[in-house]
Amino acid sequence: MEVEKRSRRGGFWIGTLPFLFTCWKLNLAGAMEFRLSFLMTAGMMFLNNIIWLLFWGIFFSRFPSVGGWELADIMLLWAVSAGGFGWANMLFGNFSRIAYLTAHGELDVYMTQPKPVLLNILASRMSLTAIGDFLFGLAIYVYVGDHSLGGLLRFLLALLMSGLFFLFFTLAAGSLAFFIGNAEGIAFQLFNGFLTFTTYPTDIFKGLGRMMLFTILPAGFISYMPIGLLRGWDNGFMFTAAAALLALTALALLLFYTGLRRYSSGNRMAMRS
Amino acid sequence: MNALETRGLKKTFRVKQKAPGFAASLRSLWAPQWSDKEAVSGIDLTVAQGETVAFLGPNGAGKSTTIKMLTGILHPSEGEAKVLGYVPWKERKQLAYHIGTVFGQKSQLWYHLPPSDTFELMSRIYELDRTDYKRRRDNLIERFVLGPYLNTPVRRLSLGERMRCEIACSFLHRPSLLFLDEPTIGLDAMIKERIRELIAELNREEGTTVFLTSHDAGDIERLCRRAVVIHHGGIMVDGPVERLKRDILRYKTVTIRIAEGAELSGSGGGNVMQSTILAANGEGRLSADVGNGTVQAGSSLPFGTERLPSEPGILKLSVDLTATGVEAVLSELMSRLSIADVTVEDPPMEEVIKTLFERGREQSAAGEGNPP
Repeated sequence: MEVEKRSRRGGFWIGTLPFLFTCWKLNLAGAMEFRLSFLMTAGMMFLNNIIWLLFWGIFFSRFPSVGGWELADIMLLWAVSAGGFGWANMLFGNFSRIAYLTAHGELDVYMTQPKPVLLNILASRMSLTAIGDFLFGLAIYVYVGDHSLGGLLRFLLALLMSGLFFLFFTLAAGSLAFFIGNAEGIAFQLFNGFLTFTTYPTDIFKGLGRMMLFTILPAGFISYMPIGLLRGWDNGFMFTAAAALLALTALALLLFYTGLRRYSSGNRMAMRS
Repeated sequence: MNALETRGLKKTFRVKQKAPGFAASLRSLWAPQWSDKEAVSGIDLTVAQGETVAFLGPNGAGKSTTIKMLTGILHPSEGEAKVLGYVPWKERKQLAYHIGTVFGQKSQLWYHLPPSDTFELMSRIYELDRTDYKRRRDNLIERFVLGPYLNTPVRRLSLGERMRCEIACSFLHRPSLLFLDEPTIGLDAMIKERIRELIAELNREEGTTVFLTSHDAGDIERLCRRAVVIHHGGIMVDGPVERLKRDILRYKTVTIRIAEGAELSGSGGGNVMQSTILAANGEGRLSADVGNGTVQAGSSLPFGTERLPSEPGILKLSVDLTATGVEAVLSELMSRLSIADVTVEDPPMEEVIKTLFERGREQSAAGEGNPP
C-alpha cells in the first residue's frame, strides 16, 4: 500500500490555529476542574502584586520622583511586566518548564504528534497564577493608564512585547538543558533575575548594570516601556527593542531546534551507567 | 511496499563516567571522563505493510531507543531508516500523521479532563474531517466499551480503563503503522484479551502494521506472527513466532490437580507420589520430600519431565518435547494418579528469551574457550 506523501495538511489557518484554540480551551477547562483552587491561585497572585505596589506607594509618599519616574510609571511598569508575563504564561504556559521537560525526557509525546513541536509543547499548559498576573496588569491600566485609543494601543503593544521577551528569554535559558543536561537550576536563576529586573525602574541602574539590562539580561526593554512607549513613542527605544526582540527570538529558536537534535529522551539513560 | 526499513541503525549515548567518592566527583568537575555507550548497534530490519512484529529483549537491549528513532524522537548516530517512506528524524511531522504510538509510561491523555476532551484535541492535532472523526470516535467508543467513563476525568479512571482510552485514542486517525510499547502492562486478563482482539481486528481490517514490545507472552503469541529479539543493541533472532517457539522452546508445562480423597488407583508407587503431593504444604516441604527420595522411592517422574515448584495438591511438570510427548506423560500419570484437572500450557515468553540468552552465552563462551 503506497502512502501518499502530504508534506502539509491544513497549514496555519485550518490546521494549526484550530488546534491551538482547542488546546487553550481544554487548558482552561482543566484549570477550572478545581474551582476553588483556580479562584484562590489566581486571586492570591493578584493580591501579591498589589502588595508590592503598596510598598512603592509608601516609598513615593516620601520621595516624589526616582530618576524622573513617578508612582504612575512604576504602576504601569508592574502592569506591563505582570500583564506580559501573564498572557505568555496563560497561552504558552510551558515556556518556563522547557529545562524540566527536556531533562526529564517529557518531550516524547509532543514529538510523535504532527504539530509544530515547540508550539505544541508551549501551548500544552496554562499557568493559573498567570491569570491573576494578567488581570492585575489590566486592572492597573484601567486605574492609572492612558485611556485614549492611542494610549490603549501603546499599552497593548507593550504587553505583547513584554510577553514575547519573557517567553523567548526563558525558552533560550531552558534550551540550555539540551546542551548541559540538568539546566533547571541555571534556567530558573536566569528567569528569576530577568523577572526581578523587569519590576524596577530602568533609570536607577547606571553604567555596567544598565548595559547588562539591555544585553545579556534584556529586562530593560520591558522596564523602560512606561517611559519609552507609554508616556510617548520614543523612536530610538522602540526600534532597538524590536530589533532586540527579533534577535532574542532567533537565538531562542536556534538553541531550541539545535538542541532538539541532541535530545536524548531523558537523561535516564545516562543515569543508569 | 515496506512499512519500515532500517540499515545499520545505530545510537550511541555519551555517558559521563565517575569513580565513587567525593574526590572523584571533584576530579570529574575539572576533567570529566566520557565514554560512549552503544544503545543500538547496527540494526537491519525490514517490515512489510500489514505485518505484526513483536520486538523483544531484556531491559536495556535497545528496544525503546529503536522505537524512538523510528518515530523521529531521537536522531540516530549512524545508519538509515525509512518509515512509510519517510526518514523519521527529518520528516517527523509528515510521518506523524500516519503512525500511532502508545508508550506505556507516557500518556497522551489529559490528566484532569475526561477522555472525550482528549479525543477532541486529537481530532485537531491530526486535522480529521469532523463527520469522519465523529463516526470513528463513536465506533471506537463502542468497540472499546468506553461509554461509561467517557466523561470522567482521567485521574479517576482505573489503569485498565485509562489504557483502553489511550489505545482507542491512538487509533483515532487510522494510522497505517502502530507502535505499541507494553500496551497491556498491568491489565486484567479480560481487558488484555479485548485489547488484543481489537488490535488484531485493526490489523486485519485496515491493514495496519503493528510493531509491539511486550513482556506478556500472550500479547506476542496472540497478536504477532513475527518475532525480532534484540540483545545488546543487535538483532539476535528474527523469524516467525511459531519457529521461535519450536526451536527454542521445546518445553510444555503440564499442571495436574490431584483429586482429594479419591480412591487411589494404580500401583503402590503412585499412591506414595499422590500422598506426597497432597500432604505437601509448601514448595520447600515438597521439594524436601522429593529430595529425600520419598517420591522417587516408589515412583520416579515420567521420563523427560522435570518438576516445577507448585502449591500442595498440584503437580507441575516441565515436559521436554524432544525427549517425550505430552500424551505419553499424561497417560503414564493417569495410570498412577487420580487426577481432578489437567492443563497444558506454553511457558511464558520470558522463559523463551531467557533460554535464548543462556544459549547465546554458552555458545560464545564455548567459542572463546576453543581458539581456532
